[in-house]
Amino acid sequence: MEPTVANIGYNIYFFDFTMILLGIASVAYLVGLYGDKPSISRVGTWICVLAALSSFVALGLRWVESYQMGIGRIPVTNLYESLVFFAWSVILFHLFVERKYESLVFGAFVIPIAFVTMLFAHFYGGGGAITPLNPALQSYWLHAHVITCFVGYAAFAVSAGIAVMYLLKARSEAAKQTTGVICMFPAAKALDELVYRAIIWGFPFLTAGIITGAAWANYAWGTYWSWDPKETWSLIVWLVYAAFLHARITRGWHGRRAAILSIVGFLSTIMCYLGVNLFLAGLHSYGGG
Amino acid sequence: MVDEKRAQSPIDRVWDFLISLKLAITVLILLASASIFGTVIEQGRPDKAAQIYEDWLINIFNKTSMFDMYHSWWFLGLMFLFTLNLTCCTLDRLPRVLKVVRNPKTIFDEAFEKSLSLAGRWRKKGSMAEWTGKCTAALTASFAAPRITNDGDAVHLYAEKGVISRFGVYITHLSIIFIFLGAIIGNMIGYKGFLGLPIGDSVQFVPVRNGSELKDVGFRVRCNNFWVEYYRDQFGNPTGQPKEYASDLSIVENGQVILKKKIVVNDPLRYKGVWFYQSSYGEDKPAARMLLRRADNSAPPETFHLLFQRGEAYGVPGMGIVRLLDFQDNFEGKGPAIQVQIEKEGRQPVPMWLPSADPELDRRRGDAYVLSLQGVEQVTWTGLQVAHDPGVNIVWVGCTLMVIGIMIAFFMSHQRVWIRLSPAAEGKIDVAVGGAATRNRLAFEKNFEKIQGELKELQS
Repeated sequence: MEPTVANIGYNIYFFDFTMILLGIASVAYLVGLYGDKPSISRVGTWICVLAALSSFVALGLRWVESYQMGIGRIPVTNLYESLVFFAWSVILFHLFVERKYESLVFGAFVIPIAFVTMLFAHFYGGGGAITPLNPALQSYWLHAHVITCFVGYAAFAVSAGIAVMYLLKARSEAAKQTTGVICMFPAAKALDELVYRAIIWGFPFLTAGIITGAAWANYAWGTYWSWDPKETWSLIVWLVYAAFLHARITRGWHGRRAAILSIVGFLSTIMCYLGVNLFLAGLHSYGGG
Repeated sequence: MVDEKRAQSPIDRVWDFLISLKLAITVLILLASASIFGTVIEQGRPDKAAQIYEDWLINIFNKTSMFDMYHSWWFLGLMFLFTLNLTCCTLDRLPRVLKVVRNPKTIFDEAFEKSLSLAGRWRKKGSMAEWTGKCTAALTASFAAPRITNDGDAVHLYAEKGVISRFGVYITHLSIIFIFLGAIIGNMIGYKGFLGLPIGDSVQFVPVRNGSELKDVGFRVRCNNFWVEYYRDQFGNPTGQPKEYASDLSIVENGQVILKKKIVVNDPLRYKGVWFYQSSYGEDKPAARMLLRRADNSAPPETFHLLFQRGEAYGVPGMGIVRLLDFQDNFEGKGPAIQVQIEKEGRQPVPMWLPSADPELDRRRGDAYVLSLQGVEQVTWTGLQVAHDPGVNIVWVGCTLMVIGIMIAFFMSHQRVWIRLSPAAEGKIDVAVGGAATRNRLAFEKNFEKIQGELKELQS
């Protein structure tokens, strides 16, 4: 269906506004980091808060507008919506981590992920049209399934961002560098711990996401697992992080190898989330077409 | 991984291999990598692959069951190894954990005190009995009730919290075994099928395994009606995209309507462990309208439809399975006719033509039933997924255990606090405190400092 004014709505102005805010926040975090100006990073944080609010308003408005169009459903059901929801989850998770660990450097690595996601949604999200739901998606399981999956994805995104920081920091520590941007990162050991912490938040959510998906599939089709590519890729992601968690118990898998595994995990998450719909055939709806 | 110092029998070596973390990680990564193949090579579609890949590759795919990869011997073998690994790990480690939990370290000796990073010491005035009472009360109030052990002159207090966190990992592992068990049971005694049921028809036999087999569900299901509602555009015209579709179904047993329900997608009907899910539909599709009579007219005649689709079949209790083979508009100049074969156990099925012009033709078969074609018409049918899965509840138990197990394993911590009271000179008491936590040490450290502060402030 061609998007018309009637099935786009005003919500996308707020999403575009969020996108611009995230662009500014990314720049602020990066300038704050490279220019060694925590006050600029602090501005980035406030812009992020504003972006989170703007996203929240946009999602709420979109929900209301979908009812006005006679479609009426939670705004997490097509590619555009899942991308903006993912970006929102990343902002929230980032703000949580930033507050909890009191370090302003994460933003430079995490918020650009949210920004790029919003850009992608803007240009490849089918114009942000509110598309009607096919009957299989009309279920209360949708809410639980999507929310748990996306909190999991967001945690993995944050973990991978910090894993990149870890790799840079570990190299700089090994070379005994004392100047430059990387020296302002938290200690490699702390970053390593954060990579792990973000994953132990993401893993239960991913598990719950897979289980709610299975329960829903069982309720809609009578099969809780059918080795559909999306299901299989979610299992692959789960297995990679399960391997990470088991590897973590042995001392040898701290640090570099754990960081690499976290990045591999996030790449498989991206494959599960977007790649499957772009390259493979299956049940999930946000194929972007 | 292998302990070199120990003399090892081959059995020990196999066991050490099975319980090793290396095996666990390897199997997880192998399962993840292997699963990728099945998502790239479309399952059950060798015809599609033939257009993409070279012949020699197709050959390899066929030999390695790549088109039904998740049920291939090697993938199931990996799953088996995975299960074996986590079972053995549990058998190896759980008894040790149980032992530690049942016999906690209650004696807080000096060597142990030195090994703890959280510890403190001070001296107080008073008697042993008085301080034992005070510390017990304080620890009970701020942490947990302690166990008191006398050891020579000294008194040791030991309190713990969150001991269940030691079992989180094993609950999670057990949950996976539950899920597999449920899946195996479902695969062995359950069945799944698809039924295209025209409005007004009722059936007792459901096609399973892609229609190659008909399953007797033990009762009849009838489609009384079917509706589809479409989304409308901004001018109020239907867009052709279905918003909702629904079937009105009845369950009929021994000629009685037992249950009636309108089902929609995501809201199935269940009767005697068999679920009927609204799945698809067909509007105005050609079908053969069949009449089924008793040869001796002992019961009223029935009608049903055979949809013109590959493998279409209809089961009649006592008579067998009627399978549609072919259709002709004008058979030997006698008008429309269909070719069917009747499959009955112990009899060779013989294809036969049934022209609508000759309703008595089937009497030649000499069966108790006489089948004839009444005509060809357009029907609307509802597409139902039919499933009977006795293992599914075990799977849900497994899933619940998994979430609980993971939460316990990650977010709970076994926290322990020890206090040693020993008499010192001049009627004073030496107090030593120590603490340890298996996880989230930062949070425990704060808690420990608080407990220690409160203990220090106690006065005699």
